[in-house]
Amino acid sequence: MTGLLQTLILGILIGGVYALLASGLTVIFGVMRIINIAHGALMMIGAFVTYTLWRDLGLDPLLGVVITVVVMLAIGWVLYLVTVRPVRRAPVTTSVLLTFGLAFFLEGVMGFIWGNNAVAARPSYVDASISLGRFYVPQALLFGFLLAIVIMVILQLIFSKTWLGRSIRASASSEDAARLVGVNIPLVAAMTFAIGAASAGAGGSIISIMGSFLPGMQILWITRMLSIVVLGGLGSVPGAVVAALILGVGESLVASYISPRWAPALSVLLIFFILAVRPQGLLGTKLREDVAQ
Amino acid sequence: MRRVTQAAPASGGSGLFSLRKVRYLPVAVVAVVIALFPLLTDSGYYQNMVIISLVIAVSAVGLNIITGFGGYPSLAQGAFLGVGAYAAAIGSIKVGGSPFYWIPLAGVLAGFFAFLLGLLSLRTRGFAFAIITVSFLTLVRLVSQNWDSLTNGTAGMTLPLPSWDRAYLNWPFHFALVVLLGFSLLVTWRIRRTKFGVGLIAMREDEDKAGAVGVNTPTYKLLGFVVSAIFTGMAGAIYGYYLTFVDPLGMFGLLLSVQIILAVLLGGKGTLFGPVLGAFIIEPLNEVANNQLGGGNIRLVIFGGVLVLVVLLLPQGIISTVRRRWSLWQERKRPGLTGARIELCERPKPPVRPEPSDRYILEVRNLNKRFGGLRAVNDCSFGVPEGSITALIGPNGSGKTTVFNIITGMMTADSGEVWFDGKRIDHLHPWSRAHLGLGRTFQITRLFGEMTVLENVVAPLREFSVRQLNQTAISGEEAARAEELIRMVGLIAYRDRPAASLSYGQRKLIELAQVLALEPRVILLDEPAGGINPTLIERLGELIVELNSQGKTFLIVEHNMPFVMGLCNPIRVLARGTTICQGSPEYVQQDQCVLEAYLGTDFVLEPKGAGGA
Repeated sequence: MTGLLQTLILGILIGGVYALLASGLTVIFGVMRIINIAHGALMMIGAFVTYTLWRDLGLDPLLGVVITVVVMLAIGWVLYLVTVRPVRRAPVTTSVLLTFGLAFFLEGVMGFIWGNNAVAARPSYVDASISLGRFYVPQALLFGFLLAIVIMVILQLIFSKTWLGRSIRASASSEDAARLVGVNIPLVAAMTFAIGAASAGAGGSIISIMGSFLPGMQILWITRMLSIVVLGGLGSVPGAVVAALILGVGESLVASYISPRWAPALSVLLIFFILAVRPQGLLGTKLREDVAQ
Repeated sequence: MRRVTQAAPASGGSGLFSLRKVRYLPVAVVAVVIALFPLLTDSGYYQNMVIISLVIAVSAVGLNIITGFGGYPSLAQGAFLGVGAYAAAIGSIKVGGSPFYWIPLAGVLAGFFAFLLGLLSLRTRGFAFAIITVSFLTLVRLVSQNWDSLTNGTAGMTLPLPSWDRAYLNWPFHFALVVLLGFSLLVTWRIRRTKFGVGLIAMREDEDKAGAVGVNTPTYKLLGFVVSAIFTGMAGAIYGYYLTFVDPLGMFGLLLSVQIILAVLLGGKGTLFGPVLGAFIIEPLNEVANNQLGGGNIRLVIFGGVLVLVVLLLPQGIISTVRRRWSLWQERKRPGLTGARIELCERPKPPVRPEPSDRYILEVRNLNKRFGGLRAVNDCSFGVPEGSITALIGPNGSGKTTVFNIITGMMTADSGEVWFDGKRIDHLHPWSRAHLGLGRTFQITRLFGEMTVLENVVAPLREFSVRQLNQTAISGEEAARAEELIRMVGLIAYRDRPAASLSYGQRKLIELAQVLALEPRVILLDEPAGGINPTLIERLGELIVELNSQGKTFLIVEHNMPFVMGLCNPIRVLARGTTICQGSPEYVQQDQCVLEAYLGTDFVLEPKGAGGA
């Protein structure tokens, strides 16, 4: 019983980090109708930037997130202008292929910059644990979880309280109407994409202290994030949070009761299951384009 | 009487004809060179390059069927290549036997997996399909890494060496792939010319619309995916025998899938030879990246980057782009059709319109549909008398289009019944309803933009059968019938133009011709007069009357009241999702409820006491 509860606690903590990673992906889809397959690669860039700051400047990875976010905003903005903007109006298939190519391009670039060997940021607390009665919680995981919550709250505040957030939500529900009431759509789209990239980067900062990583892992991460957004319902942030916790707990259970080698299979099976049973996801609504005009 | 000249099959120009001559000679030369390549050089390096190119070419030709024709992006076609290679490896190691069994069986196995994946994606659209395919690759790679007893895990498996005389070297692999490529090209060529191929393209252009004109889209999708996987799986088996070694990284790496996609996109998706051309560009590039540039990260940068560039700069691929440039050049001196007049051929005066019968051919009973808190349709019931032109009118947002969508099956009602010709149809798929004789047009026209006008009009299917899949898409009889319909709406001059090049009003007329090709008994028109000019509206009215006198029943949603009142009887008025009034035009115009619904209760200018409203 203790073992099970311990597994659940670890699963929830890792699920919180997944939630941050997936929420950026789902927001980009909700606003722009683009599935950003390069989201996993952006996350890896965030992890490497944080790792570099820690290695070369001694900056704590969880504080370095501030700089990482700024860097990732810039990268996201540039990527949007150069690659995504021209296919904004194209069918979903086009942007899927584009970001699919982008993911591998970025993986190769990361390989050139940081090499293809596994690295990890290892600040002093990385091996320490906190004991709570009979349970233990790795400090890195706990701090990462708390940081993920803080960033998600900030994102939520941006969306609900700021003019930018209202513009983003307005564009999500009707781009034409938003344009008519004076929303600068190209700017909002660029900022949405940049914010998505920044949230992926922030997630990467957290991932950098949770184990070793290398550029080729981007595909594993994008599969995991896609399964979360599909499970939660494409475009739904609350859905992504619920789904992330489910996947986090599920992976922990599979890893401790079956085999860590099979844990990644869970995301795949979840995708298959949810698409067969409830294609719109847990909290998703049917998409507009599914309905004839 | 103005007669439109019979457009001969060769129309579309001598340009096309000469283009063919120019095009096929190099294709034939290249085909011979590729087929006989091992006889031309002893260089192992180049022979290997051509063999791998052939593997990618067959996979790309397969992928082209589902992605190029059907519009569904399979991001992980390499998974089927790997499944094929592993099937050959496991088969010949654990069971033994000849490649002649294992290669076709590998194709069947890949096709079976595609069938299962296709079942999963039946209710979803393109992006979910992309996610499913990537996930499948992840899954098979995990299985190949972790199921040691079957696949020998990450260490991989070594296949038996070929049993033939060393003197023949790679010839058997090469010729097997050449035969497979030729066969897959033949199948693709045939598919493009059948109902199956046109149905796939219709699905790519607009899946809902394809369903509405009778295309059984799930079956098409499934079949297209299975065929594409079978070819790739067979190529994978040959690939496995050729390499004599399979392992998870080599077989299920995503970069191989990226290369297959690139071959399709670069050469030209939806074209016959595009994927082959692409494969023979991509694989040499791969060899250069591996041997001259050091491989590893540079391959990722090159292929990822090229994929981005192709999507951005060359979305139609080499063959389509060259072809379009060529035809633009050919037509540079010909006057365009823009603004060409609608050819109004004289039509026989319709006989007196028959009296509509009392029998309802189409009836809805107690329909309800909610969108969240909004009751779009609220206990709505009405009938359409056989042989009538019935109008469904009502203020904006009264639920007319929703009722249309429920009748044609694009939405399901929360409750209520739809009856057609004495049969309850609300459980049927849209295409099945189309097969029964229910046709519709859309408020905002939905033609298959990249198909020609003629192809659009022959796309509708009046039934579904397995035999039909292999029928020639545009047979003589059908083409004649389609041309007759296009002539009837006065647009025969546009027969070979892509539908996307037509104006809004022209598209409305072609959409009507398209629906008529279904030979429906009841035609639902959603705002046919919206946004088109008065002459066209008049033309449309005449057409409707003519068709009605031939026995077609109409149900029309329209806001143009003079048009409705002059044409339709009876009239059903919808407000707040329910029928508030039914009857003749005269009756409806006098009805208090109708006046209220359209104008509100305070429309009378005089004060209540004085005016006595």
